[in-house]
Order: sequence, then structure tokens, then C-alpha cells
Amino acid sequence: MFNFFKLVQNENMKIYRRPRTYVMLGILLALIAAISIIGYFVDHNHNTSAWSMIMTEVMISYTLITVFTIIIASSGVADEFTSGTIKLLLIRPWTRSKILLSKYIAVLLYALGMVIVMLLFTVVLNIILFDASDNAAADIVSPLVSGSIAAYLIKYALLKYVSLIVTTTLAFMLATVSRSGALAIGLSLFLILGVNSFTPLLAALKYKWADYILFIHLDLTQYLNDTPLRDGSTMGFSIAVLAVYYAIFVALAWYVFKKRDVAA
Amino acid sequence: MEQPIVQLQQVTKRIGKKTIIDNLTLDLPLGEVFGFLGPNGSGKTTTIRMMVGLMAMTAGEIKIGGYSIRTQYQQAIRNVGAIVENPEMYKYLTGYQNLVHFARMIDGVTPERIQEVIALVGLESRIHDKVKTYSLGMRQRLGVAQAILHRPKLLILDEPTNGLDPAGIRELRDYLRQLSKEEGIAVFVSSHLLSEMELMCDRVAIIQNGKLIDVRTIHQGGLDAASDVNMLFEVDKPAEASEIAAGLGKAAFRESDSLIIEANREFAAEFNARLVAAGIKVYGIRVQTKSLEDQFLEVTGGERIV
Repeated sequence: MFNFFKLVQNENMKIYRRPRTYVMLGILLALIAAISIIGYFVDHNHNTSAWSMIMTEVMISYTLITVFTIIIASSGVADEFTSGTIKLLLIRPWTRSKILLSKYIAVLLYALGMVIVMLLFTVVLNIILFDASDNAAADIVSPLVSGSIAAYLIKYALLKYVSLIVTTTLAFMLATVSRSGALAIGLSLFLILGVNSFTPLLAALKYKWADYILFIHLDLTQYLNDTPLRDGSTMGFSIAVLAVYYAIFVALAWYVFKKRDVAA
Repeated sequence: MEQPIVQLQQVTKRIGKKTIIDNLTLDLPLGEVFGFLGPNGSGKTTTIRMMVGLMAMTAGEIKIGGYSIRTQYQQAIRNVGAIVENPEMYKYLTGYQNLVHFARMIDGVTPERIQEVIALVGLESRIHDKVKTYSLGMRQRLGVAQAILHRPKLLILDEPTNGLDPAGIRELRDYLRQLSKEEGIAVFVSSHLLSEMELMCDRVAIIQNGKLIDVRTIHQGGLDAASDVNMLFEVDKPAEASEIAAGLGKAAFRESDSLIIEANREFAAEFNARLVAAGIKVYGIRVQTKSLEDQFLEVTGGERIV
């Protein structure tokens, strides 16, 4: 197990030794700061709630982090093929499964790191700039929600991280199967951002099979304030559907990577 | 004889209906530089890819150090260091980080060993620069460095002299010969550069259209005193010289003003003395070695692939 950690360490080195990783982090933090600072100057009466700023920024940040994680996940696999380094990587005393797993874990750690940095930055910045005294979730999110806003934020962040994992796994699978970073990034972004905007339409489909469309279930936060996209859908059902898709993505990536003749 | 480090047994690779490698059987012993020679598209790189497990075989078996590359991959590949095609490294990392990366993947490669290997390939001054600033020759050296980090018993190099300058080629050649002789490892080198193989290898396998055509031993260094070779005598009176040769019991073939006689060194000295005694001028005596290139073109019929 200790040795396997070295593989993850290698993958981390390949992520964090590239300037683009820090450019992405910079863009994310700059965007959050910009929203807060603009809000601060627009808010002449100083009655904006810090928590409503936090919720807005966390929602926007998650979309951005999803885009960045798709890029990291796709290029992490595909770049090895396009640069030819995959040949040097595979001819080591490690099974292909473990090499792929180390890449996958490194990507999930990257996503986790981004989320944690984003949450800390957003919360600290907005509590400094705005009034954080009102912390009842019912006032800030929706009257349907009870409890403190901090508890709501943690639940929200965790559920969003679940969809981030599924999305990342989809991108990772597409990159492994296609070996093309551009294709995997483009297709994942199209599916997540493009098709996702039609989700309410898909959810309105009258057919039974529409119950199983990935996009309807991807965002689990719909159950937090009890407004499911599809009537009658429950959190448990959504998680079950996501789990099946997840298993298919993982199995496909693993099978293709294990069996493929590497001729890059 | 001890067990060969590499055994290829009836290895076949088919992609669709096309047979890329056809029933290839080959043994490589330790301590030898083994050349793998063939024209472009003959299946050299495919064979190497199968040897390191990047490609699956359609039929047959490859064993490295007695372990099957198919069923005991990890034990088999531990003995192997390789560059497949070009030495592609992570360009956004430094040379040193690249070596650390590959060192982490195998037990027992210490920081001292990394330094030792860097010195060996002569990259000390540039090892902390990013690989994207390296010349092709430097990348080739870094490629060799990552291949020998874990002291493999088998070193596989695909077209290793590509992009090296003459001094670099010579250095690599000397280094490979030293590795094979002193550390007793097997070096498997593929190339279509015939003259290069002749200088570098102990034995050469010639492959064409995925079939093994021939395996030849290459004599390194000086001429074996006892064995007969073709000698060319350049003289002013070939007809008379030919009679003297006949008197010594050797048939001579005329080639313009020269005679070609299959003989050993002792005969050359004796024959020369007779010629001079008979008043025939000798302008030159040369050994006619058939170069590998001639042999190669002979066995492959000089055929063009495309």
C-alpha cells in the first residue's frame, strides 16, 4: 500500500508541477473575490447577508471547479497517450489497473482540494465583508429548509461533490476510451453544461425510461429544499441511478485501459 | 548453457487479417548486444511492444528471465529497461523529476543511484532544466537513464542512435558494449542503420515482413588468424601472379588488375614473398569483408517495402 501511494505521488507531481493548475486556482479565487468586491460596493446600505453571498458563490464556483476537474481528469490520461509517455509508464512492475487507479485518485484529490480551498476562501472573505448575523437557512435559502445555514452549506457541498465525482468519472472514462484530451473535455463539457440546461425539459418527458436519464439525477441538491426535477423522484432513487452510471463508467474505463494495445 | 534471458516462442501478432509478426522464435543470452535489424515496417517495433507487454500477442509466448510476459507480467518486466520508439518524457518536468518519477515506480532505486545514472549519461549540467528545453540527443540520454535506473538484466532500445551526433553515437555504443560485457546484461537494439549495428552488436537477427530471416554472428575486432577470408591482391601482372597462386594450391579469381583469393594470413605473407621474388609488383593487399549491409541486402533481396 505504501508503494501504491508513490504512484499517486507521481500523478500529483504531474498535476501540481504544471503552471496551468495554479492558473485555474487563480481564476477561481479571482472570480469569487470579484463577485464579493462588486457586491460590497453595490451594497450601499450594508444589509447584504454574508451567507447569501456565500451560497451564490459556492454554486458558481462548483460549475467552474467541474470544468477544471474535467480538464485535469481528461488530460491526465489522454496526455500520456498523445505525448507517448504512456509507454514508459506502463512498462513498470505495476498492473495497468493500479496505474489507472492512481490517476483517478489523484484527480479526485485535486477536486477535493479545490472544493476545500474554495469553501474556506468564500466563507472567510464574505464573513469579513458582509453581515453574517442572520444564519437561519430558512431566511437565506428557502422557507422550506430548517436548521442553520452552516449545516445546509455542508450538506450542499457534499451533495455537489457527489455529482462532481460522477462528472469527473465520465470525463476520465471518455479520455481513457478516446485517448484524446480535446474530445473528452469537449464532450464532457457539452454533456454537463449543454445538456444540463435542458434538464427540466428532459425531466418533463412522460416516458418511463426518462426516469433513468443521468442528467435528471446528477444534481442531488434538488432534494435539499425538496424540489425534485422529476415528480416522484427521491434522493435514494437518484443515488441508485448515479451508482449504476458510475459503475458503468468505471468498468468501461478499466476494461479498455487494461486490454488496449498501446501503439501510441 | 544458462537459461536465455529472453525467449520468444512462436510469437505471432495478427491485426485483423494482416499478420504483422509471423511465428517468431528467438533466444537472447545474457552478456550480448543483440541487434534487431529490418527495413521500415518489418515488425521491429511491434515485436518490442509485445516484449514489454504494451501489445498482446495473438499466439505464442515471450519469457523474460523465465517469467511469462502475459501471465507473470510484474516479475517479467522488473528485469527490463526500455525505450520504445522515441524517448518521450514529461516535457513540463525537469530531467531530474522525470527520473524521480520512474524511480518511484520500482523498489530499491536510491537517490545515489539516480545521481550515478545522471553522471553515466553525462547530463549533470542540465538535469535540473525542464525537458522541453532539451535537444533530441539529450532526451535520448535521459531515455537511456530512465531505462537503466533499476539495473535491468535486459535493456531494450528501439532505434537508440536516432538524433545522436557522431560523438554521442560512439559514446552510446561504447557504453552499451561495456554494460553487456562488464555487467553481463543483455542489450537488445533495433535499427535499420546497418553500419551502426555492425559496430555495436555481437549478433544480429534480420527480420522482414514479420518473419525472422536470419541470425548472424558479427566478428568484432581483428581478423582471426587461422580462418580463410577473401583477400584482394593488387598486382601489375595478374596472369603470372595467378599461376604462382596455383603453385601454392589456391585458386585465384581475376577482377580487373586484382586477384581475389580465399586464404588466411599466413598464405598472404607467403604469397607476397613469392610475388616479390618473381619480380611482380604488389600495390596492395586487402581483406575483403562483406559488410553487413551487403549481407542484409542479400538476404532481404534488397526488396522495397512500399
